Amino acid sequence: MTIGTLDPIVLGHNSFFGVNHLSREQGRQRDAIFEDTARIVDMMRTAASLDVAAMMMSTHPRAALVAAAVRREPALRERWTFYPLLPYITKYIRQSNEKGLVNLVLDQLKQAGWSQSLGMVARSGLGFLTKDYRRILTTLIDLELAPFQSLRVGTVFLHDVLTDLALALDLPELLAVHVEAVRNRFDARGGFATKNLPLLVNRLRAYGFERPAILAQVNKAGFGMNPSRSLCEQTLQRTDLEVMAMGTLASGYLRPVEAFEYVFAQPAVQSIVVSVSTPEHAAETFGAAQAAARQRV
Amino acid sequence: MRSEPLRVGVIGFGKMGLLHASIASGLDVSRLAAVADPTTGVLDPLRRFKPDVSVYDDYERMLAKESLDAVFITSPTHLHASTALACVSAGLPFLVEKPLSARASDGEPLVAAVARTTLTNAVGYMARHVDTFRKAKQIVDSGVLGRLVHLQATMYVSQLFRAGQGWRYDPAHSGGGVLITQNSHLIDLLLWLFGPIDRVRGHVKSYYSEKVDDFAHAIFEFRSGLSGYMDASWSVRHHRTLDLSIAVHGHAGTLQVTEDDVRLYLDEAIGEYQSGWTVFRKPDLFEGVTIDVGGPEYTRQDEQFLNAVAAGRSVESDVQSALQVQRVVEAVYESSANGRSVSLEP
Repeated sequence: MTIGTLDPIVLGHNSFFGVNHLSREQGRQRDAIFEDTARIVDMMRTAASLDVAAMMMSTHPRAALVAAAVRREPALRERWTFYPLLPYITKYIRQSNEKGLVNLVLDQLKQAGWSQSLGMVARSGLGFLTKDYRRILTTLIDLELAPFQSLRVGTVFLHDVLTDLALALDLPELLAVHVEAVRNRFDARGGFATKNLPLLVNRLRAYGFERPAILAQVNKAGFGMNPSRSLCEQTLQRTDLEVMAMGTLASGYLRPVEAFEYVFAQPAVQSIVVSVSTPEHAAETFGAAQAAARQRV
Repeated sequence: MRSEPLRVGVIGFGKMGLLHASIASGLDVSRLAAVADPTTGVLDPLRRFKPDVSVYDDYERMLAKESLDAVFITSPTHLHASTALACVSAGLPFLVEKPLSARASDGEPLVAAVARTTLTNAVGYMARHVDTFRKAKQIVDSGVLGRLVHLQATMYVSQLFRAGQGWRYDPAHSGGGVLITQNSHLIDLLLWLFGPIDRVRGHVKSYYSEKVDDFAHAIFEFRSGLSGYMDASWSVRHHRTLDLSIAVHGHAGTLQVTEDDVRLYLDEAIGEYQSGWTVFRKPDLFEGVTIDVGGPEYTRQDEQFLNAVAAGRSVESDVQSALQVQRVVEAVYESSANGRSVSLEP
């Protein structure tokens, strides 16, 4: 696999997993449709026929089913590249509301077969977790990436909640472990999703990360662009980073042609991730995106 | 604006403590100076990776030893009031997470103590800082809906489908179930938007939990003459995130608001608003924040609080307004237990 190049158009997972940032109601409807994994695989076949064979995939429980289906079908397995986004944060927020943050981490480690260490927690508290933080975080990342074993993995993005937490608390170690673990265990590139693009890019440069891959909201409406659209645009003038743009349609608020022209006019944008829900929608969306990408070249 | 950043302390280092610590650390107005949590080992990662942040297993020692400018209190609910009282005694501005206390009576001494000072104090009802609810507040306050008649309000999240673990499911520590936990956001929004509630009829039900409510229903009569119902649960399917929804029918129009959009219907054009439907969607209302960690509403809330501390001002969501939420919550529980309407003392 090639490290350092993002596929220009990446199929998004949002409609498959019931995520819709503009309308939760629509999200719920799509969620019901794609409860059947076969429909997701059908949509992948449609996308491939339109020359899109890369897919963003959060580590949602449904991702494992999709990955298994792809593994069974050589034509899909050989052609597709996956861009995992980890962890599936909503699950952890719900679990943390339910049982608290500490129990959440312990239960995850239990799943990964850390029963011996859990005995240590009982004896001496969580202190050992810190001593061994690289191994712990690597284990948690392994656990999240397990469904993608033996599939082609492009860049693995760390969820924006964790990236931005590390950013706010100024914890380069967390970001570095992600890159290291993904490289060592999956021979893939570690990237970062963020809601704070300019701040992250400046900080990564100060931390010494070279040519980072970043997943961030970029759209003509300025929706989700912190601290402001104009500051994000300044950052997107730079060429020492590779940005995969998400939220390019502002969840359906913008029309595809104008939306994609704007996004591909930003020099740092190498790639867009966009969700589709029907074959017609796929043809229209990918057609407009490919035209905008070609125009730039 | 003062030149030195405010020195911030955080009491309780669970999910919300981590969130506020991150925001305080990421904003220019403040820096994270100290964190206290009695749980063994929880602060070890901070000790290792943030050596400039002091850590304590006892918050009283932190208050005594550190010279702080503001404190975030994110301990379990039953500790909120006593911890906040300790901050008042130390003359320290604080933001305490919602709900204010497990029982309304626990919050009363705190409200009385704060009333004797000019201390900046805030309660973490962050939904007031969500774009769509801010817009709804503007519309309601403008009076374009005319006399308000009928209300429907719901809060749903798919969270609990078996007995939960931890302090949240022990009523002695949490005060109750979904009604007081997540749904206190909805009650706070209703009081903020529509004013005081005078009379409550409630019904709560446990199904997955043994000791706390998983479902809550209530009929509210507001002092303004508005009345309607509220329905809440953390045990319903198909709500992957917490969904709040408020619909209010007025003499001149209707307003529906969720976290996704604001839908206004007016019989006739009034002021800046046209007749018929006007829809404000999230991208219409979006305003960027300095740093987004877990949602812009948290940044706005914390920035508003910290700026108020720096300027010696008060904030709107304070212990006094949060105590009113507690009284409504308790009235719902009381009404459910005795099967009768409960009047709230004005």
